[in-house]
Amino acid sequence: MPLTTLWAMDGHERAITKRQLGVFLALVGACGFVAILLIDVIDVGRQGGVGPAQRLALGLMAALAIIGLTLIPSGDAPA
Amino acid sequence: MKGARGRVHIALMLGATVALGFAFLVYLLYAANLIAFPYDYDQGEGFELHDSVLFSRFQLPYRDTEIYPFYASNYPPLFHIIAAPFVWLFGPAHWYGRLLGFLASLVSACAIAYAVYRDGGRHRWIAPLSGLAFLSSNFVYHIGPLYRQHTMMVTFETLAMVALAASFPRRDRRGVAIALLLLIAAGYTKQLAAISAAAAFAWMFLRAPLRAIRWLLAFAAVGIVIFLWLNLASGGQWWLQAIVANVNAFIPEQATGLFVLWFKLHGLLLLPAALLLTCELYVDRLSLYGIWFVFSAILGGLASGAWGAGDSYFVTSIAAACILSGIFLSRLLAMDFRLPRSIGKAPLPSLALVIVPLLYLGYARATLKLPTDGPFAPLAAALGVEANTRENFYDSASFLVGGYARIGYFLSDADWAAGAEIVRLIDASAGPVLSEEAGFTIAAGRDVVTNPTQLRNLHLAGQFEGAQLIDMIKRGDFAIVILRAQFYPPPVLEAIGANYKLSRTIHMNGFDYSILYPVALKGS
Repeated sequence: MPLTTLWAMDGHERAITKRQLGVFLALVGACGFVAILLIDVIDVGRQGGVGPAQRLALGLMAALAIIGLTLIPSGDAPA
Repeated sequence: MKGARGRVHIALMLGATVALGFAFLVYLLYAANLIAFPYDYDQGEGFELHDSVLFSRFQLPYRDTEIYPFYASNYPPLFHIIAAPFVWLFGPAHWYGRLLGFLASLVSACAIAYAVYRDGGRHRWIAPLSGLAFLSSNFVYHIGPLYRQHTMMVTFETLAMVALAASFPRRDRRGVAIALLLLIAAGYTKQLAAISAAAAFAWMFLRAPLRAIRWLLAFAAVGIVIFLWLNLASGGQWWLQAIVANVNAFIPEQATGLFVLWFKLHGLLLLPAALLLTCELYVDRLSLYGIWFVFSAILGGLASGAWGAGDSYFVTSIAAACILSGIFLSRLLAMDFRLPRSIGKAPLPSLALVIVPLLYLGYARATLKLPTDGPFAPLAAALGVEANTRENFYDSASFLVGGYARIGYFLSDADWAAGAEIVRLIDASAGPVLSEEAGFTIAAGRDVVTNPTQLRNLHLAGQFEGAQLIDMIKRGDFAIVILRAQFYPPPVLEAIGANYKLSRTIHMNGFDYSILYPVALKGS
C-alpha cells in the first residue's frame, strides 16, 4: 500500500479492539504451544524430551493463549 | 487529608521516604567510592574504556581479531562515543564513564518520577518515591556507576517511553520523532533496546495501526542506514563482532534463578504494576508502560539467561514497573480508576493510606544493601543484618544466583594497592601484555591486547582461529599474562598453560588475578 494512501486513511483510523487482540494472542499462544511441542518431532536427533527452556516457552505460550481467550468476550472496546 | 488516618499516612510516607532516601545515600557513596577507583571493578569496564579511546581517535572498535592486537568490541558505539570527548580532555580513565553511567541512572529516576506525576494524577509524593524506588533496586545499584553502556541504554529507553506516551495519542509528530530517535539511540547504545522498540511499536499499532506502520517505516529506514554504514565502514566486522558474536548459549537455570530473585526483591512493586496492567487489559486501555513492562520483563528476563548476561537485563523492566506501580498507587490514593461500581464502594481509599507507604517501606527493606563496618556498623546492627557477600557488605539479594553480578561492595585501600601492584609488574616488564582486564594495561600505557569474552564467543561461533595469537603465546612474546576468569577460548588457554607459569596471585575486588610469566623466565 503506498504511503500516500496510508496518509489518506489516517483520518478514519480505528484502534485495535480487545476482541481482535484476544483472537491474536489466542492464536499466537496456541500455534506457539504446538510449534514448541513439534520441535522434538521434527528434530529427531534431539535427546532428553522437553527441556527446561522448552517448558518455559510452553508455559509462556499457554498463558498467552488463556489471556487471549479471556479478552475475546470484551468485544469492540479499544485495546 | 485530616484526622488520625491522615497523620498515620503522613508518618508512614515519611518513613518510606527516609528508607528509600537511605538507599539513595548508599548508592551515592558507592558511586563516589567506585568513580575514584582507577582500575577495573566489573569485568569488561576496561574494554569499554578502550572503545572510547578508539572512538576518540576516530577509529572503529569492530576489528579483525585474527591480527594483533586481536581486539574487537561487541557493543554498539553510542555510549563510547559520548565518552570520547572526555578521552581528549583527560586521557584514558575510568571515572568519566562511571560518572556518565551514574548520572544516566539519575536521569532515568527523574524521568520515572515525572511520568508518575504526569500520568498518575499529579501526586507529589508518590512521584519522587517511584524515582527513588528505581535507584533502590539491587540490580540498578550494581550497574549504575560502572563504565558500562547498559544504564545509558535504559535512560534512553525511559526517556523515549515517557515522551512517546504523551506525544503519540496527541498526534504530536515532533514528540513522536524525538521519542523514536531516543529509541534508536538506545539501540545503538546496546542491542537489548530492540525489546523496548518492539514494545513501543506494538502499543502504537494497538492505538493507530496505520500511523504506527508509517512511523515504523521511518524508524527502520534510519536504523538500517546506520547499521549499513557501520558495516561498510568496518569492512563487515560490525556484523561479525556485534551481531554474530553476541549469540550465546541459553542457561535455563540462570534465567529462572534471576526471575525468582527479581520477584523476591521487587515483588512489592511488581504486584501493583501487575494490578494496573490487569485493569488496563480488561477494563481500561493498555498503556505504553504496561506493554513495555510485559515485553521487558518477559523478553529481557529470558535474555538474562544467556551466557554473559545477568541481572542488569531486568533493569528496563524495573523502570517500567516503577512507573506502573507509581501510577497505580497514585490513583489508588485518589481512587481514580475506571472500575466496576461494587469495587468503587469498598473502603479502598482509607486502606490505601496505610497500604501505599507500607509497600514502599517493605520494598526498601527487600532491596536493602549497605556496608556493615565503619559508620554503618551501628545501623547494620540495629537493622539486624550481617555481612553476607563480602566480609563487610550486606546485600539482600546475596550472591547465590548465577548471573547476579557479584559486585556492589565498597573498595578498600587493599584493592587500590593490589591494582597498583599489578600495574607496577606491567611497568617492570618489556613487551606486550596479555591481560583479561584492559584496565591494567591502559593504566600502564600499554596496548590493549584481546578481548577474551569476544574471542570466546567468536570461537564458539566458528569465527576465530587465533593462529597468530597462539604463535605469539608459544614464542613467549607476551611479557606477562594476567588471568582472572579464564574466558579465553580453550586453544588459547591451552597455549598459555603450556608456555606460561604462574608466578603469583594478587587478590583485588574479591577476585584472584593470576600473574604468569613465560616458562623461559621461570622463577621471575
